[in-house]
Amino acid sequence: MTTPPTRTDPAGAAAARPGRTPNTGQRGSGRRTSAVERAPWLLLAPFLALFILTFILPILAALLSSFTKVTRSGLFGEAGITSKFAGFSNYAQALADGNFVASMGRMLLFGVVQVPVMIIMATILALLLESASARWPAFFRAAYFLPYGVPGVIATILWSFMYVPGLSPLIDIAGWFGLSPDFLGPSTVLWSIANIVTWSYTGYNMLIIIAQLKAIPAEVYEAAKMDGASPVKVALAIQLPLIKPALVLTTIFSIIGTLQLFAEPQVLKTVSPAIDSQYTPNLSAYTTAFAYNDYNVAAAQAVLIALVAFALSFAFLAFTNRKSS
Amino acid sequence: MPRISRRQLLHAGLGTAALGLLSGCATPGTRSVNVAPTIASVPGQKITIEYWSWLKNLQPVADIWNAANPNVQVKTVWIPGGNQGGYPKLYSALAAGGGPDLAHVEYGVIPSFMMVNGLVDLTRYGADEFAGRYDKTLWSQSSYAGGVYGIPQDSGPMATFYQPEILDKVGATAPTSWDEWAQVAAELRKAKSYMDCFPLAEAGFFTALAAQAGAQWFRADADGWIINMTDDATMKVARFFDQAIDQDLVQTDFGAYSPGWFAAAGKGEIASLTSASWGDALVKGISGGAGKWKVAAMPRWGASGFGSSYLGGSAVSVLANSRHPRESLEFAAWLTSTQQGVDAEIEHCGIGWSPATDVIGTARQQPSEFFSGQNYNQDIFAPAALEQNTQWSWWPSQQQSFNILSDGFRFKASGTSLVDTVVDAEQKIMTVFKNSGLSIRKESA
Repeated sequence: MTTPPTRTDPAGAAAARPGRTPNTGQRGSGRRTSAVERAPWLLLAPFLALFILTFILPILAALLSSFTKVTRSGLFGEAGITSKFAGFSNYAQALADGNFVASMGRMLLFGVVQVPVMIIMATILALLLESASARWPAFFRAAYFLPYGVPGVIATILWSFMYVPGLSPLIDIAGWFGLSPDFLGPSTVLWSIANIVTWSYTGYNMLIIIAQLKAIPAEVYEAAKMDGASPVKVALAIQLPLIKPALVLTTIFSIIGTLQLFAEPQVLKTVSPAIDSQYTPNLSAYTTAFAYNDYNVAAAQAVLIALVAFALSFAFLAFTNRKSS
Repeated sequence: MPRISRRQLLHAGLGTAALGLLSGCATPGTRSVNVAPTIASVPGQKITIEYWSWLKNLQPVADIWNAANPNVQVKTVWIPGGNQGGYPKLYSALAAGGGPDLAHVEYGVIPSFMMVNGLVDLTRYGADEFAGRYDKTLWSQSSYAGGVYGIPQDSGPMATFYQPEILDKVGATAPTSWDEWAQVAAELRKAKSYMDCFPLAEAGFFTALAAQAGAQWFRADADGWIINMTDDATMKVARFFDQAIDQDLVQTDFGAYSPGWFAAAGKGEIASLTSASWGDALVKGISGGAGKWKVAAMPRWGASGFGSSYLGGSAVSVLANSRHPRESLEFAAWLTSTQQGVDAEIEHCGIGWSPATDVIGTARQQPSEFFSGQNYNQDIFAPAALEQNTQWSWWPSQQQSFNILSDGFRFKASGTSLVDTVVDAEQKIMTVFKNSGLSIRKESA
């Protein structure tokens, strides 16, 4: 994006303005009300300017790009290049790309299995750590959360040592029992990635759920205790219903995270020939943009990924709301 | 005088900025540097040139040049190898209007960089004066549409690395034809060894063999590109490896130089490796391999085709946003075609085969202890570099084409033949060309 640096001035200019507001605002009562109205906007201005600059504008640029088509003449475009409005042809091309559609399907399969497994594990861990009989809850909370602190790339490198034949102690141990698991084959590598993701994010989701568990008033537990509820009953009848907002939140984050999977397959690609360059939707958009140099189709893919993430998140919200009403 | 309120001003300012930003976000790579006026060099001024390359330890080589050229200092920056991240990095730097003066670009990818107007036509800066120093085939692989878009840096003439002891078990020596290769491979399977690997996830090997057999997949015509991936030569290679894989004559579980391959080669389960000259450094990494390996000319496709092929190899290109194209060109020529440059590149970076016809590198003119005392560079690779398919030409979207091929090859395990994949890939690649607005047609027989 060839933007001259001077264009970004509004951020700086807006940031400088609030300081002068009090002086001008005290001239008359009419001005004072307008100043009061203006104040929040001026105070918001630094945020808004950056938000528009780094969030809204790139999205608009991507939308614009996804509706543009570049046509080249000559062998390499040396005889002229023209850009013009393309309608939905980039979207059609993205959807006609079997690898891109396959990557979407792959992530749906991944999400259907991995998200519930991870959320259930996170919930169980949270309930166990918040139960009255838990030992050293603070230690275990930190221990379970620790993998989240390991960047995805490093986590994948760590796990690849568990997956590569000849290096993996897991495969050696399986060998003693006459098994030869292939963690990196075409049908298994998706679940090897799922394992890395689950390892990384279960603790993080657990922490969000714990935060909500801690918000449950102690009186509720006391009342349950008076009524003689067992710990399992407390978990099922009190804790689970009350942490529903946290579960909905973590599930939606996980659905979006699944569609955005990138670092793990990108790194694991170096040891697994089964991962192609369009294995996940984001990898596909990345490859299309920066390996195939088709920025317009890549933009269309990115918009499609966002739309699918929206659709899935709202479908899940609608589903949970319907169930509760 | 009507006063403009602050908010109006703010709105107007943000609006203008937004418009400016959006108009700045035109699709990258749609302006050509090669129609702009040339940039004259300013003698006597101290300048710094940046070279992005995946060669390890390149700065000591540049420092030799720097010592002799105090006014033209070269700074090297390491990037990941090509498709592993180097090209995306270069493409995005170009798209952002920046990037280094010089970049490491494989021959096959030069047309893709030209598509985004990423390369400077070096004929405008006097590249022709250096042409005589280089191998003609390599020079032509970086020349397109009357321009020169890269200075050859290295190449990978192919030959066969083999373990004489293992082949001796079945009374064989290095095969001279692929038919003989198949016979030896069948015998070796009884001794629980494979001859070579056939990489299903990487199309470069197949492409190199098709080129050896005499294929010419692409050629440029006045009215556009002409594709021909289903010629006799290519189909012969595809059918041959279809059969070899079906009969389990070739290892497909892992590719050459993978951890699994090193283990198998060390145990003698891999008897040979048909690969490029730069494979020698990797073969030397096989544990306990010293004295067990030799090099022979690669097998031929009967009477037709060529004695060798190029696998890999790269050029140094001047990128579109360079401020010093002429000085960059001079450094590139020094680096790749002088005794001093080539010797230093071999010593520090373990560069591939020298592209300069007169300089193969001092270190490569003596026998090797690892390769059983054989003077393999001069005896095998130097002649192999001369037996190349001179008609072979690369094309835009080579990486996507290779991905299309390897995506198809991966399905070999589930029954799709290589022949079908190649036929299918030709159609898909034509679609890729049409989608980017280039005209392409099938070679009429």
